[in-house]
Amino acid sequence: MVTALLIVHGLVAIALLGAISHQTLATWAPAHARPRSFFGRLRTVRSASFANTIVILYAVSTLLGGIVYLRFRVDIRPGLERAGHWPALGLFDLKEHFISIGLALLPAYWVSWRQPHADETSRTRVAVTSVLAFIVWWSFVIGHVMNNIMGFGR
Amino acid sequence: MTSSPRFRTFAFACGSAFAIFYVVALKFDLALFTVYPSFGVVLLGTHHSRDVVAPSLGFLAPAMYWYGWTATAALGALLFGLIAALLPERWTRKFSPGLGWMIPVAAMMGCVYLTLPWFRL
Repeated sequence: MVTALLIVHGLVAIALLGAISHQTLATWAPAHARPRSFFGRLRTVRSASFANTIVILYAVSTLLGGIVYLRFRVDIRPGLERAGHWPALGLFDLKEHFISIGLALLPAYWVSWRQPHADETSRTRVAVTSVLAFIVWWSFVIGHVMNNIMGFGR
Repeated sequence: MTSSPRFRTFAFACGSAFAIFYVVALKFDLALFTVYPSFGVVLLGTHHSRDVVAPSLGFLAPAMYWYGWTATAALGALLFGLIAALLPERWTRKFSPGLGWMIPVAAMMGCVYLTLPWFRL
């Protein structure tokens, strides 16, 4: 059951990674990009339409990760501690901290995309999206590394 | 409700306050509750194994604080966000929306600093 949840967690994370990477690249892409270029095509997609999906995927991914984390703490982490994988455990701790901070950032992220303020520059929106993208990438990579060191099913 | 300026203020205040409260909760180990996953037990407050029997109990009954730290920060952030949303708009307008991402980034750096001991083991 937990292995199935871990796989679903991974799949949701991949969908989230794709959506937020696309949106972040679109916000960073130069406004004068040629229409048929890679960045030009990225910018033609309405990035704001990704916001709801990203919020839902982030929340679902965090929920699934939070459930799987219970099993990780009991069955996997003690083995990693015995094997002396301290830096990997430190990186994983950072993952959990960043995810919590990202979760609380979701309302601000959603508002900056769905209800942009008239007197506000797009810089805030770009920055919030980039921070969230960093958190998602960090979490994905570290989660993948931990799974490679000592995944479930041992 | 979500389109109102008050919700906007709440969203940015809540995100920033959570980041600050989370680092404080992490630094001072202020978990609202402690989870013992092997027993399926949740205790209110922060509990360490040495408080009960011996440090070796940590291996038998690992405790989890992440949920508790998140809950502590969420509670503080919710209150802060609600208070900020109730303030007159002329007061909240003085705060730059840029703080909405700068504070979380600073908090993430704080988390990195507090996690450094792991890399010295």
